[in-house]
Amino acid sequence: MKRRIHIVVASPSHVIRVGLSTIFKKMSSLGADVAEIPDMTDMSRRLRSIKPDVLVVDVSQLGALACQSLRADIAMPSLKIVAMLSQMTDAAVIKNFDASISLYDSSDVIRDKIVRLMEEEVDESRLELSMREKEIICCVVKGMTNKQIADTLCLSAHTVMTHRRNIASKLSIHSTAGLTIYAIVNKLIELDEIKDSIYVGE
Amino acid sequence: MSNFTSEIDFNPQYIKETMYSTGRYSYEDTMSSLICENPSMLLVLSRFAITLGQGDKTIDEVCVAHGVDTYTFLSVVNLLVTDTLPDDQNKVLPLSLLKYLEKSHEYFISYRLPDIRRKLSDALCDTTAVISKVIMDYFDEYVKGVKEHMGYEETVVFPYVRKICGDDTELNKYHIDIFKDHHDNIDELLSELKDIIIKYYPAGINFSMSDALFDIYSCSEDLALHAKVEDMLLVPAVKNIELSHKR
Repeated sequence: MKRRIHIVVASPSHVIRVGLSTIFKKMSSLGADVAEIPDMTDMSRRLRSIKPDVLVVDVSQLGALACQSLRADIAMPSLKIVAMLSQMTDAAVIKNFDASISLYDSSDVIRDKIVRLMEEEVDESRLELSMREKEIICCVVKGMTNKQIADTLCLSAHTVMTHRRNIASKLSIHSTAGLTIYAIVNKLIELDEIKDSIYVGE
Repeated sequence: MSNFTSEIDFNPQYIKETMYSTGRYSYEDTMSSLICENPSMLLVLSRFAITLGQGDKTIDEVCVAHGVDTYTFLSVVNLLVTDTLPDDQNKVLPLSLLKYLEKSHEYFISYRLPDIRRKLSDALCDTTAVISKVIMDYFDEYVKGVKEHMGYEETVVFPYVRKICGDDTELNKYHIDIFKDHHDNIDELLSELKDIIIKYYPAGINFSMSDALFDIYSCSEDLALHAKVEDMLLVPAVKNIELSHKR
């Protein structure tokens, strides 16, 4: 199943905001969920709660060097930031953004730009789980701690954490209970192997 | 070129007007038009304990008759329907919001989640006992988390809000920022269960499964909106009161 892309359009201009989000929503092939931020002073907080993949922002509202500091501020290092150009803008400013959309772009051009932006991400999420990751899922489901998993598989605790993060992002599953369903349905594990951990509860 | 844009981009009055120009409801709109145009607002009515059958009475008339603060009611409605904040957050009454939020908790814990549990359990009749068990375990653990989350709000946050809204000016150790920083999204794990079932559920989909999944979907949306009312209306209103006490 293709993951939906979360796009946020931030601009105080009602016309630009509603216009762009309508264009995004109509592109069913893009599969985008769109939210709007009208109040720029509230942008960081809203981004933190929405956690979008892509932010389309009025270029006049975000300074030339602000992309990096915004990503750091909201702790989303991989957020794609797209400049919305409604005026002549210095090329050096545009270079700081991951892409740019002009007021005169057709909706096809806009879609292509967003698709291209998301391509690397999508490829990554299509990757199958590695054997190691499957082993780690079984350990997690059995109720083992990161330390115990590290000892059993002869890995550092840090590596186990990295594997767990990758598993969470590949499967979009962020809880042990969710991994248990995944492991049972995909026959990575039998119920009697985990009886102890699931009957006792946490 | 720059003269043209600067006036629009940096004039705060302009920004303010554009925020409030679309589809917002006001005192003079009829309650029936609000509900007919936005059926999901039925939930808001029941949480403010407002009854149906109000004919063509305005929102203000209905609120006054039910002892509900109209400004607070409209702030909730406009946040949920148009995703906009009230012009003056000082006018939102925390005590009115608390009544709404407590009713909302009661709805999720005593009605909505048990109802979904029943449907989900029925829907799992076509699969093996093992798969049915791990899915129900997920759901039960999720509900446990929701109860803890809402229990914390009811035993710590809401009493604190009531205290500072009263004349109690003694120093409080608690602070609404503590809540703000630790307020997790409880809707996500519910929505994740739906996604896991959609992606990996091995048995065929029966009527009750599609029904259960749809209910999970709408309930997680509803939980997200519930959290939004807490984050965007309750927290700023309480913060204002904290500031006024400091002065």
